[in-house]
Amino acid sequence: MFLRLALRNVFRNRVRSLITLAAIAFGSTSLIIAGGFIEDTFIQLRESYIHSFLGHLQIYKKGFYEKGGARPFDYMMTDHEEITREIYSVEGVRQVTPRLEFSGLLSTGETTISFIGQGVDPEGERQISSFVQLDKGENLASGDKYHVILGKGLAHGIMADVGDPVILVANTMGGSINGLDVVVKGIFFTSSKAYDDRALRVPIKTAQRLLRTDEIQSLVVLLDDTAKTDLVKERLERIFEERGHDLEIIPWYEMADFYNKTVDLYKRQFFVLKLIIGIIVVLSIFNTMNMSVLERIGEVGTIMAIGTRRSGVVRLFLLEGIILGFFGGILGLVGGYVLASIISYIGIPMPPPPGATIYWTAAIRIVPGVFAFSFALALVTALFSSVYPAYKACRLEIAEALRHNV
Amino acid sequence: MVTLEEISKNYYLGSTVVNAVSDISITVNDGEFMALVGPSGSGKSTLLNIIGCIEKPTSGRITLDGTDVTDVPTDRLADIRARRIGYIFQTFNLLPVLTVSENVEYPLHLQGVDKAERRRRVEKVLHEVGLERFSTHKPAELSGGQRQRVAIARALVGSPSMILADEPTANLDHKTGMDILTKMKELNQRLGITFIFSTHDQKIMSIADRIVELRDGRLSNN
Ligand SMILES: Nc1ncnc2c1ncn2[C@@H]1O[C@H](COP(=O)(O)OP(=O)(O)O)[C@@H](O)[C@H]1O
Ligand SMILES: [Mg+2]
Repeated sequence: MFLRLALRNVFRNRVRSLITLAAIAFGSTSLIIAGGFIEDTFIQLRESYIHSFLGHLQIYKKGFYEKGGARPFDYMMTDHEEITREIYSVEGVRQVTPRLEFSGLLSTGETTISFIGQGVDPEGERQISSFVQLDKGENLASGDKYHVILGKGLAHGIMADVGDPVILVANTMGGSINGLDVVVKGIFFTSSKAYDDRALRVPIKTAQRLLRTDEIQSLVVLLDDTAKTDLVKERLERIFEERGHDLEIIPWYEMADFYNKTVDLYKRQFFVLKLIIGIIVVLSIFNTMNMSVLERIGEVGTIMAIGTRRSGVVRLFLLEGIILGFFGGILGLVGGYVLASIISYIGIPMPPPPGATIYWTAAIRIVPGVFAFSFALALVTALFSSVYPAYKACRLEIAEALRHNV
Repeated sequence: MVTLEEISKNYYLGSTVVNAVSDISITVNDGEFMALVGPSGSGKSTLLNIIGCIEKPTSGRITLDGTDVTDVPTDRLADIRARRIGYIFQTFNLLPVLTVSENVEYPLHLQGVDKAERRRRVEKVLHEVGLERFSTHKPAELSGGQRQRVAIARALVGSPSMILADEPTANLDHKTGMDILTKMKELNQRLGITFIFSTHDQKIMSIADRIVELRDGRLSNN
């Protein structure tokens, strides 16, 4: 009975109710769009980091991640072929590839500049360096021995072009100095300009020759799904412990500092947005409910006179608020879904993130959590903003209220 | 039976005190058909509200069917109103969003009557006031006389022992008003329900078995 009464009361003033519903729907639609956009940004940014260099997991000799920066050669992996086989045995692993990082000097004979080099397996790296984009020339291939690809900024710095001979000079593991003549095969750029200014890549065999070693530094693991990161990490930890390998596994999210900061910032901004939208919804429903109490003082007096308790009056007005919130929320969900689909279909052209060079296209993800949240927000704020009007209605003096009937 | 003992009701408007009713002692027996008369502002509505447990008196005691209801808490009073008293208002006071039968059904919800019984009783009282054909209409589609009949049906449906009517005919033309009063009188005689109504219409008050006159908030004869 109260439900029927509440429903009809809500829709007796069509225009006002529609405006209120529109305000609520607008609120939850904006949340869905904003939330979906942010989610898409997170995912794209995350995948960009994973595929450009991080991989999902990186495996090092224990201690490297913390202390390896100063003395990288103290933390080399010797039995990496066996470890690689063990990693491949875990479900969800798509690719395992070795890396050997070193630094040194790059010279054309005229100009010399310092670099950070990565010795990589060109084949294994193909999927983990998908954001290493070739600007000129060609990428490393599996047969290459005396080839190098240079970051765009680095190439520019020594004025080297594709086909030019250059010399790599580095400290060997034994402590002496070694040099190697190589040919620039390509010039690349990534989403980080700072990286491109210093980085070069050589086949890992070439790096090992330069450093006079057959060891490697890390194994980079690519999974078929980012969501499996923690699961695979745990499995591998168990396997390494059983086999007695003294290794540490670093997941991508511990390495992606910029990603974490971005997520943090966006989440804070999203919270502010939620707050603003919540306030808009509260104000619009509050206004509607308040007006409907004022208009219906006589009616409230009547139902109380014929025996409705105060709690009944409260229930009636809260119910009306919830109904507004419910329908507004539903409208918002539908609106959000439709709008998100349309926007995603068209795509939002985005400028490169700070320090990066690549333009990308954002979409609006349909995130169930965001949908649930915006619907809940509509309901809760509607309920919340009906509390005071409901309280006001139930506190009316009956005799006084009855006098409003004319 | 309703007993009022030295009932007074004061309203405070800033520093001035309005004595709406003063020192009223009266007993209304079961089955009476009583008119409360007096000029506008004489305290009729105030007295009816006190008898109907809508307002509490400033002083004095009120007893309903042997129960002292003077200091009963708000929710219990609401329940007493829902179960024992029917109300008819000058302005009909039907809920505009509900149909005729839903309006009549409302007090039965408050009493917690089940659905089948509600339907049966709504049908019965609508028949009683001759409006069964209008059960799905909205109040706005009815004439004043018809609306007041719906109000009578609503007051009647919960089987109250007493029905209070504050100027039930004041918004109706004379003939329709007489019809309404005649209907009330018939229900009083046939069902034994106590009726107390207020009016300042000489002809209307002549239908009453007993006339109580108020003047400046006091009983002027009895
Ligand atoms: N809420 C109120 N506040 C102040 N004065 C009131 C209030 N209700 C009634 N009165 C006063 O009490 C007196 C009696 O009013 P009422 O019972 O409505 O008389 P009647 O119904 O006979 O016209 C009037 O003087 C009226 O102005
Ligand atoms: Mg009056």
